[in-house]
Amino acid sequence: MINRTLFDNTINALNTSMNFRMMNQDVIASNIANADTPGYKAKKLDFETQLKVAMNVDGSHSMKADDKRHFVTANGGIKDVRGNVYFDPRMNIRNDLNSVDIDAEMAEQAENEFLYNAAAQIISKKLALLKYAVTDSGL
Amino acid sequence: MSFLNSLKISASGLASQRTRMNAISSNLANVNTTRTPEGGPYRRKDAVFETTDVSEIFGDVFQDKVNKNFQGVKVSEISEDPRAIKLEYNPTHPDANEEGYVALPDINFIKEMVDLMEAKRSYQANVTAIQTAREMALKALEIGR
Repeated sequence: MINRTLFDNTINALNTSMNFRMMNQDVIASNIANADTPGYKAKKLDFETQLKVAMNVDGSHSMKADDKRHFVTANGGIKDVRGNVYFDPRMNIRNDLNSVDIDAEMAEQAENEFLYNAAAQIISKKLALLKYAVTDSGL
Repeated sequence: MSFLNSLKISASGLASQRTRMNAISSNLANVNTTRTPEGGPYRRKDAVFETTDVSEIFGDVFQDKVNKNFQGVKVSEISEDPRAIKLEYNPTHPDANEEGYVALPDINFIKEMVDLMEAKRSYQANVTAIQTAREMALKALEIGR
């Protein structure tokens, strides 16, 4: 249950974003470690599209799946966002059928780290604001 | 979400690249070797990479955290090519055969150096991945400080 009074939607979205960025680091590390493995195909993680959809939905009316075969999409709100790990569709495959582009992976990693740090900082600032409002600020 | 998984994956990359570097160094050192315990000249060695579940490397069999999306790498075997020899005419060599040809390892310096540079670059990339994962985790500790 999302606590609407203390943690608003933004903090939940940032929390989800940070979790998935950590998972993205795993995917990128896996690609980098397997950059020389014959036959390995690079993977990518996508969660931004689902998160964007979930941000527009009021999370208190989540849709539950009646049948186990139904997918619970992000219509359930932020807490139901599922990341999607897929094979990178880029086509530069080498002779040993390895498709990892190590420069692209390094750039992706830098961007991932930056966005993770940014989300951590924003959460810190929001909590600092709450703390300022709660403590006796001299008024 | 455990960040230790990321460290294990990158560590497996480091270990594999180091094994590959050992194979390359062995090739470079044995460029003129004509006698080996198995008989015949030295054969060029090559490390064969294979994806692996990270939990297998570190014996983490009790935890059922195997996620097929994140896989580390391991050296499945050090392969030797039995045909990688070249014959050189040198009848005064003690290992020359009846026609005067000596069997030497077919090791190309340029190829070995290029492989060495590639192994070094992959090693550095894995080191950066470890540092990034560590910095991300440390940054998360600063929330609410």
